[in-house]
Amino acid sequence: MNIELTPQQKALQQEVREYMKTVMTPELLEEMKIPEFKEGGGPEFRKQYARMGADGWIGLSWSKELGGKELSNIEQYIFTDEVVRSGFAYPFLTTEAVTPVIAANANAEVRDEVVGGVKQGKVVIAIGYSEPNAGTDLASLTTRAERDGDDWIINGQKMWTSLANFADYVWLAARTDPDASKKHKGLTMFLVPTKTEGFSLTPVHTLGVRTNATYYSDLRLPDKYRVGEVNAGWKLITGQLNIERLSLFTHGQVDSLYQGVCEWAATTDAPRGGKIIEQPWVQHNLAKVKTGLEVVKLICWKQAWSMDQGPLDMADASVAKVYSSEFFVELYRMLLEVMGAAGTIKMHSPGAILKGKLEFRWRVGAVLTFGGGTSEVQRDIIAMAGLWMPRTR
Amino acid sequence: MDFNVSDELKSAQQLAQQILGDYTDVDQLKAIEQQEERFDKALWQALADAGLLGLDIDENHGGIGLGFYSLTNLCEEVGRTVAPVPVIPVLVSAAGTLRRFASDTQKDQWLPGIANGSTLISAALEEYHNDDPTMPGATAQKQEGGYAISGTKICVSPAPSASRILLSARAGDDLIVALVDPRAAGVVLNAQVVVTGETRHELVMDKVQVPTEDIVATGREATQAMNWALQATRTALAAMALGACDKMMRITGQYTSEREQFGRAIATFQAVSHRVADCFIDVECLRLVTQQAASLLDQGRPAEEAVLMAKIWCGNVTHRVSQASQHCHGGTGVDRDYPLFRYCEAARQMELTAGSSAQLTGELGRAICAEYLASSA
Repeated sequence: MNIELTPQQKALQQEVREYMKTVMTPELLEEMKIPEFKEGGGPEFRKQYARMGADGWIGLSWSKELGGKELSNIEQYIFTDEVVRSGFAYPFLTTEAVTPVIAANANAEVRDEVVGGVKQGKVVIAIGYSEPNAGTDLASLTTRAERDGDDWIINGQKMWTSLANFADYVWLAARTDPDASKKHKGLTMFLVPTKTEGFSLTPVHTLGVRTNATYYSDLRLPDKYRVGEVNAGWKLITGQLNIERLSLFTHGQVDSLYQGVCEWAATTDAPRGGKIIEQPWVQHNLAKVKTGLEVVKLICWKQAWSMDQGPLDMADASVAKVYSSEFFVELYRMLLEVMGAAGTIKMHSPGAILKGKLEFRWRVGAVLTFGGGTSEVQRDIIAMAGLWMPRTR
Repeated sequence: MDFNVSDELKSAQQLAQQILGDYTDVDQLKAIEQQEERFDKALWQALADAGLLGLDIDENHGGIGLGFYSLTNLCEEVGRTVAPVPVIPVLVSAAGTLRRFASDTQKDQWLPGIANGSTLISAALEEYHNDDPTMPGATAQKQEGGYAISGTKICVSPAPSASRILLSARAGDDLIVALVDPRAAGVVLNAQVVVTGETRHELVMDKVQVPTEDIVATGREATQAMNWALQATRTALAAMALGACDKMMRITGQYTSEREQFGRAIATFQAVSHRVADCFIDVECLRLVTQQAASLLDQGRPAEEAVLMAKIWCGNVTHRVSQASQHCHGGTGVDRDYPLFRYCEAARQMELTAGSSAQLTGELGRAICAEYLASSA
């Protein structure tokens, strides 16, 4: 039992941290002030993403066959943690969740086109799972794909298709067997190039960031863009959910907020003398944040380490999701409390503390407790898989 | 980074689990609770015979020297079975401190007896409203051939049956760590019944003569010894709480899966199952912070903050899991013929010993403040 990074792991952490400073160019920071490009997609983002590809940083965890370096999950986590900490809108779902599935299941031509493109930092893929009436109960989705010769005709609507406004493909789940008794068994996965006729989108402005509703209207798609067997899509969807979560809840992104607030509080005068951080109630909040944050770090490390030992335990994966998402929200509040009214001042407004990052992260963070599997479903899984309790109804 | 524990440590923990299981069915626990001293001597001897009292005592002194981490695994199993054996005061606070800070003569004198079960050395780290043994109210007067110690320690267990009690006192600006004989002149032991129903003792010392050979450390060494003892004790309490909370949660998971109301197992109500799932999350959190603190101490690495956080989690999780378990059991949980109450009482004892969550959160906050003021100056 040794719960510390090895010297080699620390060196990797440092290397990624230094490299990411060169990715976050002044031009990119400027570009990210434009609401449209806050989550990536602008020309400077494209340039830096491609540079990461050229410098060999994309797909580190992939097999050597795909041009990856077969990094362990711990090393992959260290990379992810540092990239998220830097603030770069790196498309993790594209690189870590979807591309390996495409590599393993797509037809050769499409695999080369997509996997090669991602490796070079030229391709971004949006996720098309949720629909207006299919969220937590994802298997009830109704977007239809019907066979027509060598093609498929797709009709339907997806919700929360983030990044679709600049993505090259949508990773789309569609129903290919309408028999309702086979809810989970009637789904097939497709890659839809966003330039295909019949594809359109409208922006959805959320509490946090911009996302999209996407529409598929008699969209004709060649069969080569089908991924995996017909009606075998459910496994491809659920197989990557744990990997998705591992990039959603990382330690560095919130640790840097905590450190930022500590530094601010240690250098800012309190109204009745001394510094903000010298007030007991401030210390109390900071200590609570640190005590909770420590577990985020340990959970992330343990998850990554476990994935190197074998498949992730279902209950453990759900513990990580519930704990991290619910603690992130608490952390935002406790740190905002320290900043008080000034904590409400938005990015780019005069007087904003820490560039208004906390106010923004709190707004974005509202999705954490339900995105990627609601806390309620996770608790059901914990009770069943971790405690052998009967299914709730 | 490696979350694995060695096979050696795993088998030691399994052995502990087996022996403790054999001695802790309800009738055995009830019988021990009838005794004046809540201490199962037969179980203690069985643990000694299996080598488990010497997990953190080196081989030269009759132990098996697996280290502190392994000892926390034993504490976890004692928590899981609420076994009436003083593993924390004797093996962690006293023997662990002696092993690391006592003279060779003292180690030769005491450690083999602790390992083979023939000798009990206890520890008294707490005073009224003061659980920091580096800042005791007790005083020590240097004199010919040793010290005269005066002061009061509380909730000491075991006390009457201990050969010596390890404690600290202030000698002017210096700190000393001493082994006090509870039978010495000037010592009064007053019975104190605590939340678990156990009789512990208030240890009142009035100019107790402690000979030089029973002085373990003085000055800086004494401060280091008490810092170590405090950190090790807090970590061991977190480990014991981990075992106890894990067990309470599992009892509750099973009970709610069997108990039927409105024609169905109450575990099939989400409101119930989610309360137990929250315990599972809490227990996993406690496990991670405890493992971190224990492995740092085991390797002799700086562990101060890791220990504070482990004990803060220990206090929060014992409270929450204990209350949730009681609540989900309804009346059954409070019945003294049902095993849960023992865990809840023991959990409260662990929570409030060696620093509560509120107090340690304050301490951690002051440490954070000092760190950031220093780095921004």
